[in-house]
Amino acid sequence: MALTVHRGVSIVLIIIAIFYLYLAFQLPSFMNTVIDADTIPKITGFLLIILSVLYFFMPVKETEVEKEKRTEAKNDWHYILGMFIMTFLYITLLEVSGFLVTSIVFIFVCTRMLGYKKWKTNSIVSVLVPLFLYLSFTFLLNVRLPTGFMPF
Amino acid sequence: MKKLVSVSASSFLTLMMLSACSDTGSEEASSDQGEWSPTNNLEFVAPAGAGGGWDTTARMAAQAFEEAGIVDVGIGVINREGGGGAVGWSYIANQAGDPHYLFAASPPLLLIPLNGQSEYSYEDFTPIANVIADFGAFAVRDDAPWQDLNELFEDMQDESSSITVVGESAPGSMDHVQFVNIAKAAGVDPGSITYVSAQDGSAMTNLLNGSVDVYSTGVTETIEQVRAGEVRVLAVTAEERLEGDTVEDYPTAIEQGIDEVFVNWRGFFGPPDMTEAEVEYYVNAFTELNESEEWDAVRERYSWDEYFMVGEEYKQFLEEQNEEMRLLLEELDLYGESE
Amino acid sequence: MIDFSGILSGLQMAISLEGILFVFIGVFVGTFIGLMPGLGPISAIAIMIPMTYNMDPTIALVMMAGVYYGAIFGGSTSSILLNAPGVAGTVATSFDGYPMAQQGKAGKALAIAAIAAFIGGTVSVVFLMLFAPVLSSVAIQFGPPEYFALMLLGLTAIASLSSGSTIKALMSALLGIMVVTIGIDAQTGTVRFTFGSANLLEGIDFLVIALGIFALAEVCALIINRQKTTFNAKTIGSLKITKEDFKEMVGPMSRQSVLGFIIGVLPGAGATIASFIGYTTEKRFAKNPDEFGKGSIKGLTAPETANNAATSGAFVPLLSLGIPGSGTTAVMLGALLVLNVQPGPLLMTENPTLFWGVIMSMYIGNIFLLILNLPLIPYISKILAIPRPMLISLVVVFCIIGVYSISFSIFDLYVLLAFGVIGYLMRMFQFPAAPFILAFILGGMLEQSFRQAMTISGNDVSIFISNPLSATLLALAAVSFLFPLWQSYRNKKNNNQTLSM
Repeated sequence: MALTVHRGVSIVLIIIAIFYLYLAFQLPSFMNTVIDADTIPKITGFLLIILSVLYFFMPVKETEVEKEKRTEAKNDWHYILGMFIMTFLYITLLEVSGFLVTSIVFIFVCTRMLGYKKWKTNSIVSVLVPLFLYLSFTFLLNVRLPTGFMPF
Repeated sequence: MKKLVSVSASSFLTLMMLSACSDTGSEEASSDQGEWSPTNNLEFVAPAGAGGGWDTTARMAAQAFEEAGIVDVGIGVINREGGGGAVGWSYIANQAGDPHYLFAASPPLLLIPLNGQSEYSYEDFTPIANVIADFGAFAVRDDAPWQDLNELFEDMQDESSSITVVGESAPGSMDHVQFVNIAKAAGVDPGSITYVSAQDGSAMTNLLNGSVDVYSTGVTETIEQVRAGEVRVLAVTAEERLEGDTVEDYPTAIEQGIDEVFVNWRGFFGPPDMTEAEVEYYVNAFTELNESEEWDAVRERYSWDEYFMVGEEYKQFLEEQNEEMRLLLEELDLYGESE
Repeated sequence: MIDFSGILSGLQMAISLEGILFVFIGVFVGTFIGLMPGLGPISAIAIMIPMTYNMDPTIALVMMAGVYYGAIFGGSTSSILLNAPGVAGTVATSFDGYPMAQQGKAGKALAIAAIAAFIGGTVSVVFLMLFAPVLSSVAIQFGPPEYFALMLLGLTAIASLSSGSTIKALMSALLGIMVVTIGIDAQTGTVRFTFGSANLLEGIDFLVIALGIFALAEVCALIINRQKTTFNAKTIGSLKITKEDFKEMVGPMSRQSVLGFIIGVLPGAGATIASFIGYTTEKRFAKNPDEFGKGSIKGLTAPETANNAATSGAFVPLLSLGIPGSGTTAVMLGALLVLNVQPGPLLMTENPTLFWGVIMSMYIGNIFLLILNLPLIPYISKILAIPRPMLISLVVVFCIIGVYSISFSIFDLYVLLAFGVIGYLMRMFQFPAAPFILAFILGGMLEQSFRQAMTISGNDVSIFISNPLSATLLALAAVSFLFPLWQSYRNKKNNNQTLSM
């Protein structure tokens, strides 16, 4: 009984379901209703466990195509990770430094990181697009975007 | 469009002024002198979506303030929807110390925290002024067997009955509590009332198609269906009959011998830690608003009652209301049960 | 029965200079906002409310209606080009629209979507005109048990949205239901699965999930393939639809404009359910259902026709009963109240100009949308000719601004990022995202209507089968769920037999 990919996945799902059920069983009960706030979550949690267990014992064999899809990122995983880290920083700094500054830096650095080398085009786009978005949101749509420490 | 431009232009101007005098610390300077006025645009927060009661109150007040020229700076209205108000309140709580933010409030500001669904309660904020009130109405289908409120409540006391009440708010909030409040005064056991919450706007549909028997809602929501002869209003929760076409025909609970009212008061609150000077500025502004023609027109348009209170009077009113709501929710077995 | 003088006065209003001008402004702004990442019809209307303050109510409603269907019309663009559905109603559009664009046929995909939307929009206005009063009495028959049955019927689409493994699709759907249970429960007020965070009280917004699981996850795939040559900017914008293509569109367009309209009439059901049901019914009827999900013309036409037809349908309960049929029409109702118009059952007789004016203006609005959008397509589709590294950065910025402009919450942005990771993992292990999002959209209403019905009946399940409407819908749901299973079982058996022979 080897631990194949699909068995690993089903174990993860079972853990998620158990955690969810644990929380569901802690929900307070309300008045005297039979179908309470915890009914549907409990059903959902148990169903997921049942399906995951079924899936665990299913004779699933990973096809070549599936394997390729799963491992397609093997040469690029650091780009993907870099992208997520960049986005994380972008979000964290959004209200601190304001939409304009953060977006300009984000677009420029990200585009460069992913391998675009024409720095002139890159600078123009990374300034113009956020500026256009900022102006149209603020003045045309009346939606306030964070200004941060900048006056606008 | 023109207004938009002027608002943005004025905000730009204030920004320039702000940055010009930012090193002197304008806020502190002014509060030392015992007087305060806004140094920036004001933001009125409706802790709910566009089109609701809080939203309308905030927007109309902002409009009237500008039209009557009471406030010199621009006023933006923004919606911070979520958690029956909790999301908006925590946003305001985070603005502590910045008096440029106000929010529109009504009974849910008491009810939601009492239900344990908000970490902030009315005591965390600075009450500024109450401005208006409107009232609840209980509607039934036109072909319903009950001719008045007492007949309905009599039937509800019979245990074999299966009368269901629908409302748009969550259990333990407005629509539910206003019904329970009146029903309890008539001798109905609050715990025996079956309340269905229809927050997707299907409440009236469910009354009309017979899924439920009673619709507990605001007065305005009933008017069109009453005029079309689809539903009847058994009672309003006001002390006296309301004025205006159609609504003047709605009987009060009091005139049917049930001595209880429910006021849907609406006012404005500021963030925590406001100075006296700041509160005074707003109290004066709202007093002026309350007496303005512009606001009078707004009140008439929405058939809102004048219900003006500031200072100690407002604080005391809120305390009393809060205590009353707490007792009611306790009886419903809803009070603070989440933690 | 038909009120000709009313129609006439409405028509007069609609073709007056003012009427035409404002319906144009409405659809123009609507398309623009719809094109904007993350801004859907609800925010579009909310943005327009302050501008309508001092307007004539009829003109204001004509304009807001234009914004509404304009935003739905424009909203499909980001689904097709970037796999970033900004509105729930255009999720199904991305299933075949995005693959088609990835094959270098972005212009064609957008043109098909525009024509499908135009036909769906226009045909449904005809229905709106003829049957509004009759249909409103049907719509009102839908109580909690009927909605429960309808949601269940919608959920059976899961089985046909699975590409391959049904069990994976079902598990994906269960995860979607888990996510939708986060927040305050509407029936009891119980706080569920929020880990004490006030930010989660209202639950997680649809847009956060959709942009995370579809758009951000797709960004990862783009990163992997970023070196692939970008499309030729000349061919990408070609609108060319051949006769054969058009023939394929006719079937779905004629069926889905009717079906979509009927579903749109039901308060609360709306464009999303219409588009999913549209997509799955066409997949069932199709001769080669395998093409669906890989850039099928039918698969793109169906949801686009259905969601635009449903948009007009949503005006039936609003105009003839004063009951908002969707989140967007609810905001519109609020705006009308500000203008001192209270729509109700008497609106049609007391204010026929408003009632018919809005309906008649929809014909004009739809024509404007078509002539406004078609010439733009070659330019808009060039977005895909942007070098991949830059396109990737821009998509991320679009997702962020889209989520931020509806909630103004940094917390939601972190959730967006988290769902980007989840979406990528699901992609990696080939868990289909469509059942997840469908269950998320329908799950909340499914649970609430189930519990409302049980409260009303005093916990008696027979409420679901005792009334004919919900019983019929439940039977349909059962057939719709079991049919594909039976089909695949039979196919397998046949295959086995051929093998053993």
